[in-house]
Amino acid sequence: MSNVQEAMNSSIQNKTAFTIPLLGGIPVAESVLVTWILMAIIMAAVWLLARKLKPDHPGRGQSLLEMGVGFINSFTKDNIGPHWRSFAPWLGTVAVYITIANLSGAVGFTPPTKDISVTAALALTSVFLIYGGMFRFRGLRGGFHKFAEPVPLLAPINVMEIAIRPVSLCMRLFGNVLGSFVVMELLRAVLPVVVPVVFSLYFDVFDGIIQTIVFVFLTALFTGDALQDE
Amino acid sequence: MSIVIGAAAAVFTGVGAGISIGMATGKATEAIARQPEAASQIRSSLLLGCALAEATAIYGFVIGLVIIFVQ
Repeated sequence: MSNVQEAMNSSIQNKTAFTIPLLGGIPVAESVLVTWILMAIIMAAVWLLARKLKPDHPGRGQSLLEMGVGFINSFTKDNIGPHWRSFAPWLGTVAVYITIANLSGAVGFTPPTKDISVTAALALTSVFLIYGGMFRFRGLRGGFHKFAEPVPLLAPINVMEIAIRPVSLCMRLFGNVLGSFVVMELLRAVLPVVVPVVFSLYFDVFDGIIQTIVFVFLTALFTGDALQDE
Repeated sequence: MSIVIGAAAAVFTGVGAGISIGMATGKATEAIARQPEAASQIRSSLLLGCALAEATAIYGFVIGLVIIFVQ
């Protein structure tokens, strides 16, 4: 049973992958290293897929890409409204990153979203998006006035939500990915032969994709809520 | 000992999530039975609602882990 305990203990910690020997040793966490690898893979895929785009007779790959971009554009337009063009590329990029980061657990990496720093950073970017968009598209006075809508009684709650929304986004993604990772590690320590593959379909693939959808949908919903007048 | 009690209390948040997601799934299946052509929209609303309700149980799980592993 010490096998299980060791798997449990090691799966919760964030390990340092290596240390850059400059300025007194900068530790580089494992999640940063895995993110670099995923970034290289994504950029290679983007370069390969976007190499020969033609407007007249699109091939199969180009049609698939256009379907994906069209889906994200229409989703953004539904949820955000008239200013959707500024937000759609960012939401698509975040969706691609979080999906690939969550799915990397299925192929053997430790998912970078298992580190609370990564999910906290993503949640902070969502906060900048929501409140930055609110102040940019409504002006300074309009932005502050939005806190008092729909009823001025709700103003303290709206101000508290500046802190509550990113915490909930961060903890939801972090908790789901950490929980999935811990369960998969325990399964691999106890029944390492065929069972992890079956469970990985639920824990890594399904849960990872659902968490991406929830994160992007909630960010778009909050942004649309901050921008729309009703 | 207090660690055990703390972690057990933290994990009890799963009860709320389990009951509420069960009820939501029941209502969703009733709605699909009543109007099968809206099935895909009902299914996506159900999945979104379940992921949001699951979050509170996950908060309890994370607190439980923190209680056990942080001295």
